[in-house]
Amino acid sequence: MISKELKSVILDVLHLDDFDLHDETIAPDVPGWDSLTHINIILAVEKKFSIKFKSYEVLRLKNVGDLQKLVDLKLAK
Amino acid sequence: MNGYFSFEKLKSILTYVENDPLIFSTSLFMILFAGVLLIYNLLHKNKNLRILFLIFFSLYFYYKSAGYYFGIIILSAFANYYIGKFIAATENFSIKRIWLWGGIALNVGLLSYFKYTNFLIQIYNDISNGTIEPLAIFLPIGISFYTFKSLSYIFDVYLDLMPTAKSLRDFSLYVFFFPNILAGPIDRAADFIPQIDNEPVISNEDLGRAVFLISLGLIKKVVIADYISLNFVDRIFDYPLRYTGMENLLALYGYTLQVYCDFSGYSDMAIGIALFMGFKLMDNFNSPFKATSVAEFWRRWHISLSKWLLDYLFKPMQFSLRQMQIFGNMISLTTTFLICGIWHGAGWNFIYWGLLHGIYMSVGILLQKPKTYIYKKLKIYNTPFLKFFQVLITFHLVVFSFLVFRTPDTQIIKDVMSQIYEFLHPEVFFQFVEEMPVVFALFVIGYLFHFLPTVVEKTTLKMVTWLPWIGKAVLLAAVIWIAAQFKSADIQPFIYFQF
Repeated sequence: MISKELKSVILDVLHLDDFDLHDETIAPDVPGWDSLTHINIILAVEKKFSIKFKSYEVLRLKNVGDLQKLVDLKLAK
Repeated sequence: MNGYFSFEKLKSILTYVENDPLIFSTSLFMILFAGVLLIYNLLHKNKNLRILFLIFFSLYFYYKSAGYYFGIIILSAFANYYIGKFIAATENFSIKRIWLWGGIALNVGLLSYFKYTNFLIQIYNDISNGTIEPLAIFLPIGISFYTFKSLSYIFDVYLDLMPTAKSLRDFSLYVFFFPNILAGPIDRAADFIPQIDNEPVISNEDLGRAVFLISLGLIKKVVIADYISLNFVDRIFDYPLRYTGMENLLALYGYTLQVYCDFSGYSDMAIGIALFMGFKLMDNFNSPFKATSVAEFWRRWHISLSKWLLDYLFKPMQFSLRQMQIFGNMISLTTTFLICGIWHGAGWNFIYWGLLHGIYMSVGILLQKPKTYIYKKLKIYNTPFLKFFQVLITFHLVVFSFLVFRTPDTQIIKDVMSQIYEFLHPEVFFQFVEEMPVVFALFVIGYLFHFLPTVVEKTTLKMVTWLPWIGKAVLLAAVIWIAAQFKSADIQPFIYFQF
């Protein structure tokens, strides 16, 4: 389940008013989420939740659900 | 004696001949492949034998193109399989990383030794007026492709995106698989290895697609690419100053079409041949000249390489430079394309070509926002009118880059450009059409079919699939016959517009 906060960060970076984000949603499904905007999303998520990702953690993400799990894991630490 | 059968003759046909790889469009390959398909299908119930047979033939195919250097590919597969195993065997990320870097060093080291040693010696000699003799290094064909295939496997295992291959046998088939060992597509282990367990049951759709792709590939490669290069393009680029700007311009469009038809034709055949054996390889080209930007061009051109570079080079670099935001993206893009250029070959032309694409992409990032703002102001944003000009401009940026790609001699680039700008003579176009009708017709066919809507290709594919098997066989035979006619055609006379 994608949290409201994570959803709002992603939509904000992509300048989208609304978009239904599920656990299985992948970047190409979302308008404007390409390899260049991806890094802006990662940066914005790091800033919003005051967390730091590692390279391999980000590279292994398959979908939005994985990103949510990673954020939850970082916040629980 | 000609026409007289002897074992000596057979042996000389079947053994390695330098600079004569076993390419798909040769009659020897077609005869061998027919035999391989027959045996492969006879073995379809016995998985182990079927896979071992495919490994054996793939190694033979590689030996026929690289001689005894097929030993390197065996060692490479062996080493990468165990590196993957060691990475997966530990939960400790520091140890995983050591094995990953070991794997990178091994693969890149091997590739660099064979491909770049003499280029580095040449650079050293040029800088320091040195006299180091180049080393007698044989370049094993396909090394760039199988090295990248192996690297993608160890990266994916490291990132936990796939489990390790179940056996050395399965991993070897992934590395050796003959349809894509010499020139791609650079398939991913995560997509290929799970298919090994499947029984090779070929649906009518797959059979139709295989016949369609092999036919299309043969036409692109033998009929269009080879013919226009021999009869037109090569002659202009050999002596650009002997011809008008119009001929130089046409040679540029011709070379662009040649590169596309040559490479995408080979990929089409590789994908079709793999389909005949029940394996689906990734698509490699998607009408690249329809792109409205250079970024889109790279999503449509040599897709398996650009996706590889994106996933394993650009993304990690972009992540580590993320605090630099847009400039981090630009540095990562330029470096990625520089490496993309170097990957293509050891020569300054490839380096300049890669850098040029890096610059195109970086400028594209910088201009993205102001361009969108202006298009919206002018109310042309997302209109067919704008798209037409975007395609036109992108295409010409790509055409220019291929001039750089084509020639290691910068003087030739200057000569071609100066002839186009200072000595165009547009009226020569009509002479070209009149005197070289076959080359002109191939230009038109090549570009026209490329720019047709995708629905035409889909409908043609459906029609080929709909044909009964005898119809498919007749179609394939007809295409092979047409290709043979073009292959055996004499080089067309080409003297009318020389001065």
